[in-house]
Amino acid sequence: MKHFVSLLFVLCLTTAFGQKFTISGSIKDASNGEDVFGAVVKVKELTNVGTTTNAYGFYSLTLEKGDYTLIYRSTGFDPQEFKVSLTEDISKNIELKVPAEVQQIEEMKVSATKENDNITSSEMSVTRFDPKSIETVPVIFGEKDVMKTLQLTPGVKTAGEGNSGFFVRGGGADQNLILLDEAPVYNASHLLGFFSVFNSDAIKDVSLYKSGIPSEFGGRASSVVDIKMRDGNNKNFGASGGIGLIASRLTLEGPIVKDKGSFIISGRRSYADLFLGLSQEDIPDNTKLFFYDLNAKANYRIGEKDRIFLSGYFGRDVFSLGDEFGTSWGNATGTLRWNHIFSQKLFSNTTIVYSNFNYGFDIGTEEEGFGISSSIQDWNLKQDFSYYLNNNNTLKFGVNAIHHTFKPGALTGGNDSFNEIVLDPRYALELGAYIQNDMKIGSRFNVMYGLRYSAFNLMGEGAAYEFNELGEVTSEQRYNNWETIQFYHGLEPRASANFIISENNSVKIGYNRNLQYLHQLSNSTTSFPTDNWVPSSNNVKPQIADQIALGYYQNLNKNMFKMSGEIYYKTLQNQIDYRNGADLFLNNEVEGELVYGQGTAYGFELLVEKKKGKFTGWISYTLSRALRQFDDINDGKQFSARQDRIHDVSIVLMYRVNKSIALSANWVYYTGDAVTFPSGGYEINGTYVPYYTERNGYRMPDYHRLDVGFTWYMKERKRFEHNLNVSIYNAYNRENAYTITFSENDNGEPVAIQTTLFKIIPSITYNFNLKNFNFKKKTN
Amino acid sequence: MKRILYTFAIGLLIVSCQKEIDVDLNEADPKVVIEANYTAEDSTVRVRVTQTTNYFDLAPAPEINNAVVTITDANGAVSNVNSIGNGSYELTNYVPAFNTTYSMSVSYNGVEYVAQCEMNPPVPLEDMTFDFYPGFFGSPEGYASNIRFFDPADTVNFYLIVLSKNGSVSDSVPNLILQDDQLTDGNLVERPLFVNPLYETGDVIGMELRSVDSRMFYYYSELQTIAGAQTSAAPANPEGNWSNDALGYFNAYSNSRKIGVVP
Repeated sequence: MKHFVSLLFVLCLTTAFGQKFTISGSIKDASNGEDVFGAVVKVKELTNVGTTTNAYGFYSLTLEKGDYTLIYRSTGFDPQEFKVSLTEDISKNIELKVPAEVQQIEEMKVSATKENDNITSSEMSVTRFDPKSIETVPVIFGEKDVMKTLQLTPGVKTAGEGNSGFFVRGGGADQNLILLDEAPVYNASHLLGFFSVFNSDAIKDVSLYKSGIPSEFGGRASSVVDIKMRDGNNKNFGASGGIGLIASRLTLEGPIVKDKGSFIISGRRSYADLFLGLSQEDIPDNTKLFFYDLNAKANYRIGEKDRIFLSGYFGRDVFSLGDEFGTSWGNATGTLRWNHIFSQKLFSNTTIVYSNFNYGFDIGTEEEGFGISSSIQDWNLKQDFSYYLNNNNTLKFGVNAIHHTFKPGALTGGNDSFNEIVLDPRYALELGAYIQNDMKIGSRFNVMYGLRYSAFNLMGEGAAYEFNELGEVTSEQRYNNWETIQFYHGLEPRASANFIISENNSVKIGYNRNLQYLHQLSNSTTSFPTDNWVPSSNNVKPQIADQIALGYYQNLNKNMFKMSGEIYYKTLQNQIDYRNGADLFLNNEVEGELVYGQGTAYGFELLVEKKKGKFTGWISYTLSRALRQFDDINDGKQFSARQDRIHDVSIVLMYRVNKSIALSANWVYYTGDAVTFPSGGYEINGTYVPYYTERNGYRMPDYHRLDVGFTWYMKERKRFEHNLNVSIYNAYNRENAYTITFSENDNGEPVAIQTTLFKIIPSITYNFNLKNFNFKKKTN
Repeated sequence: MKRILYTFAIGLLIVSCQKEIDVDLNEADPKVVIEANYTAEDSTVRVRVTQTTNYFDLAPAPEINNAVVTITDANGAVSNVNSIGNGSYELTNYVPAFNTTYSMSVSYNGVEYVAQCEMNPPVPLEDMTFDFYPGFFGSPEGYASNIRFFDPADTVNFYLIVLSKNGSVSDSVPNLILQDDQLTDGNLVERPLFVNPLYETGDVIGMELRSVDSRMFYYYSELQTIAGAQTSAAPANPEGNWSNDALGYFNAYSNSRKIGVVP
């Protein structure tokens, strides 16, 4: 560790001497004052000199004394130039403008710099978009969902038909770190996975890291989905929203003090239960079925150097049947951040994060019923620094500490039959420290390397159990408050390097190791709120993922087409599966139900995208395998993971016919899931029972589907714009198999039954936007 | 719990559809299946030895009549269970000793399959009661019976509940009701047993409470996850108590019964 740090600093000091000055500032969207993340700042006179803005729109560039032309640029904005005579340190804030007319986008702007950051950046295996750019992509029930759009990109596989859960490069669904304004979201789905908890209206930017994961992120083995909420318009008040088949949305935003602070509140509620009431006479009164989300955020700039942000998310699913059965579950997160600019080169962000997920059941009437509840709660304190050492080295470093509280379950009741049962809560402290350098070496070589140290301390008050080979408890030991039950720690090296062959193509290579100390227990195909998270313990070891990736990037036709091909190889250690008939519910000794093994995943991913012009979209192809090996499963032989879909294709096309009409379509195809089917049968108690010979030895039928969409942008007024979106999910009505089950038919003959979840589903959504209201003007 | 949610997902939210399809399945080598019950109620040991077939075969399972079957009590006394044809073997007037372990041996084709099971004493049922329920989700209204019994305190108990209506016994695997005392140890256990369709006035309901050992309880719960169109993500053969990978089980159990008439 020590050697590594000194090496890091030696490498940083490789620049020549000479008088240097720094230009720094922030980049914003001129229309609403939102920070622009990942905007590029380049120096026209120098090759391979430049920087990008951080998540708060901050940039800093240190150059030798001289005259320069700086170019500020970001996708979807007109580039801006700024001529500067650098004889002292300078502050320069930039506001980027959106092109006045949509038509202008069609014509390629011949600008001084080329939009080839995908070639020149050392970042690899990153998928990034803002929800606006994909708003016309057709989705099921017309509910825009960034998580479902991510599933249309290479290396990301859906957890199932219509599901917002996903697998990244052969990893498990619990191996994705999903962050909303730095707060982890433990259960990112509504209604058993059919909708994600992320309301697109409140989201500014989504980044998915599949490899080359920056050192600042830790805690999950396979990927990071970093979602940033919008800050709200700090110039004018506005309201926007939509009415859809499943849910309606409303967003309010505006300045707190113009150009100094802003707020945004965005809400969404579904109303499936209203339809239920209409269609089913047999449904008892007081039946509820809905979910809601509320996103809120405010920020305020205190002087030039300080800014605070407060953001929160509250969402809940509620389902009840009369007075007999009720359940609800949801997430609550809160983030308080303080940005401070110590100097033109040192940017600091201090964060306090709260995250909570809980669920509860109420069954039976008040006197006779019982209730079940469970929760997981985090407090996270984080300190991050960005240090813009010189124009060849940008350092990031920081520390964080998370306190986890797990309440795996409690049963309380009024019925005499049931004994109250409260599973032991578990407490843990998860610590992290990291340092990373993004370094340019000459004009053709970039390297980003870093090291993360993480530690996990499971502590009392609580019990630790030991189990024999059959999963039966052999000993139990109690621990006091804050007493260590089990301690794990490890180093997570991360590195990626980029060799720029020319301005149109480059080669990148990356390696990362990720440790994961929390594990989600789920032995079903659907996403349930009861899929508990458990900490690493004396029995459950941290999951370890090692991945190497190699990529080739090529831009064609003046960056009109961007192509990438990546191969990866990944190993996963300490993976979890379950004993036959495992009882994961309200079980203090749940660890006895688990078995441990390892995984291997490898593949090739190809992406061709076109982001400019009337015609945009992408083609994604993934050729991959995802394998597992457990001593206790399949006689110890390697088997396919469920998501071992060998071929996976997504084609997304968007066509802007004219100012008022946009058409879109996407088509997906993938090899059927690996599944377990019987290879024989026998009778028990007069019931015909399937006989299995191997785990996941069969395949579901191949999956394919076409969705089409049509968006009509109605006549725009000065302060009002609105559109109507019609989409058809599964347009050619393919009966894709959701499950295939084996049972006897009415004649007692064994048959295979295929269940199709969604056949053709049309939907319609109306969206509106009221903008540019300025109350002060009115009073003038 | 999951089943309730699952039903809600499939049944309410979605316009799902089901159809019979052809699936090309492998043909596994035949495997020995031993279904052995030792019932305290009539002091009889009943064993059936068969083999697996290809899944879609309509022919009855091949029966094995030339196996050598014995049962051994806790004192080591060995008794033969003799073939009565059709793959069945039987031993009558074999009086049980409660809280002792029996072992069974089945020898066939040079392989000996062995299993042990504990014979637990019966737990008496109290009189059953009935409650009326309005129907929902398309099923008509009717009655469900409430099982009532005192769970013995401070012992770990496992039960299998078998219902019958007007003399017809629902003992197929999906209809068996499993009950343990993890949440109810030492209490008066009283819970409704829902059936579809619900009972009507005048139905004669029989209730049987079998006391089984833990291994059998888990065997049946695993069996239920794969029998009768369940959708487990990773289905596997239930782990019975036979050695040498024979399928099936050896269950030594006692029971108690009650009969009630729906008011």
